[in-house]
Order: sequence, then C-alpha cells, then structure tokens
Amino acid sequence: MIKLFGYVGRMFFTFLQDLSSLTYLFGETVSQTVALFSDRTKFRKTNVLQAVDEVGTHSLPLVLIVTSLLGIALTVLISFQLKELGGLSYIPGFVSVAIFREMGPLITALIVAGRVGAAITARIGTMKVSEEILALETMAINPVRFLVVQRFIGLLIALPALTVLGSFTAVLGGFLFGSTRLGIRPDTYVRETLEVLSFTDVASGVVKATVFAMAIVMIGCYRGLVVEGSAEEVGKSTMISVVWSTLAIIILDTVMTTAFYG
Amino acid sequence: MITVKNIHKSFGNRRILNGVSFTAEQKKVTYIFGTSGGGKSTLLKAMVGALKPDDGQILFHDTDITGLHGRGLDPYRKKIGMLFQHGALINALSVGENVALPMRWHTTLDDNIIKIMVKMKLEMVGLRDFEDLLPNHLSGGMQKRVALARALALDPEVVFFDEPTSGLDPIMTSVITKLISDLNRLLGITCVVVTHAVEEAMKSADKIVILYMGKVLAEGTPQEIRQSADPLVQQFITGSPDGPISFSASSKDYREDLLVG
Repeated sequence: MIKLFGYVGRMFFTFLQDLSSLTYLFGETVSQTVALFSDRTKFRKTNVLQAVDEVGTHSLPLVLIVTSLLGIALTVLISFQLKELGGLSYIPGFVSVAIFREMGPLITALIVAGRVGAAITARIGTMKVSEEILALETMAINPVRFLVVQRFIGLLIALPALTVLGSFTAVLGGFLFGSTRLGIRPDTYVRETLEVLSFTDVASGVVKATVFAMAIVMIGCYRGLVVEGSAEEVGKSTMISVVWSTLAIIILDTVMTTAFYG
Repeated sequence: MITVKNIHKSFGNRRILNGVSFTAEQKKVTYIFGTSGGGKSTLLKAMVGALKPDDGQILFHDTDITGLHGRGLDPYRKKIGMLFQHGALINALSVGENVALPMRWHTTLDDNIIKIMVKMKLEMVGLRDFEDLLPNHLSGGMQKRVALARALALDPEVVFFDEPTSGLDPIMTSVITKLISDLNRLLGITCVVVTHAVEEAMKSADKIVILYMGKVLAEGTPQEIRQSADPLVQQFITGSPDGPISFSASSKDYREDLLVG
C-alpha cells in the first residue's frame, strides 16, 4: 500500500515537473516568436513556408482521406436514426455542425499528432543524442529559436488550415452519401447546410485547431529536448510524445467544447 | 588565456572532477589527456559552458564563465569554437550551410559574402568541393574537418577539440594534428585539445596536462613530461599495460565481491 502511494506520489511529482518545464518552454517559444517578428533581418532567415510545408502539406492526403470517410460514416449513422423519425431534412445541418465544431478539429489534430508530433520528437531527440543541440548551444545559437519557433509557427498556420479543409471534405463526403443514397436533393442539401452552419461553428473549429497545434508542437519539441542517452530513448520519448498529445488534445477538446457550448 | 581553478564535478555518487586546476596559455596549444572516463570530456564541457561545475572557477580573460547563464554566455561562446568528438554537424543542413550557420546567426553579412567565407573556411580543411553534400554522405574524418571549418566560422580566439583524432586512420590523424598546429601557428588561435593520441600530442603540444582520478597528475611542456620521474606519468606516455594504473575500473575487492555476492 505504501509502495502504491509512493508510486502515485512520484508520478504526480514527475507530472508537475514536466508541466512546469513545458510551460517554461512555451513561454520561451512565444517570446522568441515575438522577438522574431520584431526583428526583420532574423525573420528573413526563418523560412516559414518551408516550415508549413514540413509540418502541414504532407499530412494533407491522409487528412482528406480520413475525414471524407468519416463524413460518410457519420451521415450513415445519423440517417439510420433520423430516417425512423422522418427527419431526413435535418441531416445536412446536423452533420455539418458536428463536423465543423467537433469531429473535424479533433480527428485532424489526432492524425497530425501521430504523424507530425512523433516526427518532431524523433527528429529533435536524435539531434539531442548526436550532440547537435549541444553544438548549437556552444555556437550561441538558441535551440528554441532554431528548432522550436519555426515548427511552432508552421503548425499554427498548417493545422487550422488542414482542419478547415478536412472539415470541408467530411461535409462533402456526407453530401455525396446524402444526395446519392438517401435521396436528398443536392440543392436542398447545400441550402440546408448553409442555413444551419454559422460562422461561429467554423471559427470555433479554427480556435480549437490553434490550441491543438500549440499542444502538439510543444509536447513534440519538449519530448525531443528531454531525450538523454541512446537511440532507444528516442523511440521511448516518441511514444510518450504521441500518448501525451493524444491525451492533451482530448482533454483540451472537452474543456473547449464545454466552455463554448456548455 | 583560460584558467581553470579547482573544478569539482560529481554525477550522483561518482566524483568525476576533484579539484582540477591548470592554465591554457594564450596562443598556445594545450593537450589534455587521461584515462577513458577520467573526466576529460566533462572538463571540456565545463570549459565551453555546457555544464556547470559543482565548485571552482573557469576564467576567460578574468571573466568567470561558471557564473554565467543562458544568454549571458553568448559573448563568450561567440569567441570560442568547439570541435565535437563526432562532429555534431546539423544533419539536415548541407556542409556549406553548416559552416555558414554561425555567420548567418551572428553577423549581418550579405549572403554572397557568407558564400565566399564558407568556401574559404572549407578550403582551410581541404573540402571546398563538398559544399553541397549532406554530412552523412561524408566519412567520419571528413565530417570532423567540416566541423572544424564550422568551429572556425567566426574566427574564434580559442578552439576546443574533443578527441579530434579518435577513430581516424593514421594519415587522417596526422592531417588533423597538423591542422591544429597550423591554426595555432598561422592564425594565433589558442587550442585546447582533449585526446588519446599521446605520440601526436607530444610532438605538437606547447603544454600537456595529464588528468588522473579527477585531478591534474602532471602539467608541463612535452620535454618536462617526458623527463618526469613519476611512474604514473611514464605509464601514460608509454601506454604500457603494466604499471601503477590498474586495468580494473571496479573499486570493490574482487574476492569479497565473488564470495559475498
């Protein structure tokens, strides 16, 4: 029993330590980002487009495939219930709101966490192990500015964009299923969707995506920077990075959904 | 000039440095050697400000760098260069970009000028044609030479070398050793070299510091070291397996360890 308390206590202590280090890294990243934007000569040296490309563009096909299938699945599921009640005309609005507010941001963030978050940790972790980060420090190059800031800006642009595109494809998937298999007229489907879907729905999705992007980048970079020792540690830290960001995304999503609509 | 004063450093219960003091004279080549795991790399890390010693001072022109943190170290670090044991080149950047990196970050030089400077630095290490390759397309020795070009990018006052010749063939070992001497002789750079290559060190050092058990065992010119009467020093420079320095790194008594378990 005492052992169990000891274990839980240690875990809680480690959690607090990690959380404070993450907060510190976040603060440093934000201040370095602000410094970057206020210094035009340095800004030129950070290739934002390349960063967006690195963290964003390559995730696009996967996001589009998954979200369009999800849009179809969601429509099938809802239509199964609403058909019984004779409420087929509610489907377009229902599906699009659910996707833009909740499913789109959540699924896109989870995909990106698995793909980009893991890659960031592995990349930075390997650099740590091969003393590249130590080398940066001895050259008086701030590792946060060199490694974290461009990924931070990149994902902050890329994830909201991916989310909007993904949500749109998901709605399109629903539209295709609804208009071909459920017998809803395409023009009615579009009209219904536009009538129900508000700017706030899209905006809340974008806000969520922005917060998720910060979580993914900060956790990914942090887990990379804390790697010590061997290649095995890089693998372990990458795994932890994905677990943490998945959990963080779901917790943040619940908090935000409750705050926005609760 | 760098003066190391009474440096202590422990990791857990293991005491790595136990009161190390010596001076690396300005515009001279100082070689540091000692047994593997004897604290050489730890000392070097402390000297570049990558590791805080538990106690003691490291003075660079009267500034104690152990008291500096974070950005406070930047002015010092812009005056030094460090060659890591495995090069530590940024693998995602080309050879040329690696060498250009310190210039891009710390100077306002135009891109075209940086390109010319990169060519000059690479020419110094004989690798001008390799500018566009990625570091992992080069051999270990070449990577070290590129890392040296990078360490020289900001025309440093002092360059630290962490085992610059380990894992290299005899020819490359001589090439690197000659490069170190040339840097010192032609450019007046202070060199601090941690190495296992005793023979090369004896040939080209101005000063030798031998570390043993976390302390300075001997310090002096190669001539003085060679003439030392200390059997420990003699074992170091001859590399003899027999002598006062034990082959076993275990501290417990062998018989007791086997019987008690």
